[in-house]
Parts: sequence; C-alpha cells; structure tokens
Amino acid sequence: VLVFTRRRGEAIIIGDGIEVRILRVGRDGVRLGVSAPMTTPVHRQEVHEQIREANRAAADPAAADPAHRASVEALLKARLP
Amino acid sequence: MTPGSLASSTSDLQPAPGIETPHTEREVVMFPQGLPGFEACKSFVVFAADAAPFQWLTSVEGPPASFLTVDPRIVLPTFRYALSAADLSRLKVADDAPLLWLAIVLVDADGTVSANLRAPIIINPATMTGHQLMPQDCLYPLQHLIYTPAA
Repeated sequence: VLVFTRRRGEAIIIGDGIEVRILRVGRDGVRLGVSAPMTTPVHRQEVHEQIREANRAAADPAAADPAHRASVEALLKARLP
Repeated sequence: MTPGSLASSTSDLQPAPGIETPHTEREVVMFPQGLPGFEACKSFVVFAADAAPFQWLTSVEGPPASFLTVDPRIVLPTFRYALSAADLSRLKVADDAPLLWLAIVLVDADGTVSANLRAPIIINPATMTGHQLMPQDCLYPLQHLIYTPAA
C-alpha cells in the first residue's frame, strides 16, 4: 500500500488517465474528485460489496441439476399466478 | 429504450435443452468483467425457465454459477434505468439499441421471492455482450419483493 500526504487541492495520478484530487477535508470525511476514462468504473466500495453479496446469496449452486431447476420452477409457478 | 419493450428479444436467446450440453457460439453471452462476486464467470447462457416469465442465467465457463432472473419491468412496471456513457461504451451499444434486461431473483429459505432491481443485468443481443449495472445513486431496492409467504 502506498501512503501519500496530500493537502486540499492536491491530487495523485494513477496509471495513464486517473486523477484523484482532494477537494475538501472535514472533521470525519474527505471529499474526493475522481477523473477517470469513461471505460473505467469508479464506485464506492460498499456499493460494490453489497452487490457482490447479493449475487452470492442469489446464486443457486444446485441449478446444474435439471431436477433441482424443476423444483424451483414448480415453487415459483405455485406462488406466482 | 425501455426494458419492457425488450421482453420479446428473450426469444433470440434460444433455450438451452440442459446446461450440461455444449452450446453453440450464438447462444453464449460474454460478460467481460464477469459478475461482482463471480468475476471468473465470463460466459453465460440465458434460457427460459418453465415458470414464465423467469429465465436462468447460467455460467458455462469457469466456476458453476446459476441465477434465476426476470425482466425488471415485469415485477415493477415503472422501472426505469438511465444508462451512463460508461455503460453504453462497455456494451458497445448505441443508445437506442434494443437490450435485454434481467434482474437477479432471490428465493429465500423462508420462501420469500425478491428481485434485485438495484443492479440489473443488461445484455446487448447484437454483440452478445452482457454487464451488471452498478448504480452511483440508487433508486431501487436490492430486494424488491415479488412474493412474501403468508405468516
């Protein structure tokens, strides 16, 4: 892990096109401005983590088994007219 | 580009007879980034479940992963999602191209059925490329209830 000390208005550059600038420093928060190429996704870490968890919870490990799929489908059909 | 108008494009993705069987190239949808939590899964097939209007989204390469999905417009008719320029560029689509929209369905142990409307999956049938959207500011719940078992 690289550690930098930056002041308000200063920035770091990552790779070829990513700039992270310190816009404001508060008591318990820092406001960052991120400039990145359109093709580079930038997300709050907790949003990413939340979606990973949701995907893991929804993944059906037994779905390769046609009998299992049929039972899930039967359950859905029974509940959702 | 509304998800609801795209339900018919599901039929372009031919139902697979069973996921053990090999698939033709035409049926395979590439997810260059995989799905969050399943980054190693980059090839999926989509096939209609016996229970309409659900589909199975199943990994055919890398670790096994299967998801039950549904068009978000079916479970929430007012569903709208503005694609960012980054999303459009990642899918290599013009902003008026027809897309297939899928929300991942969660069937809970207690029988509750919900759909993840926060991070829908979009597939561009023209390029057979897919991508799970990750919103910056989210309007929709991770678990939009479709069915709650009676207490």
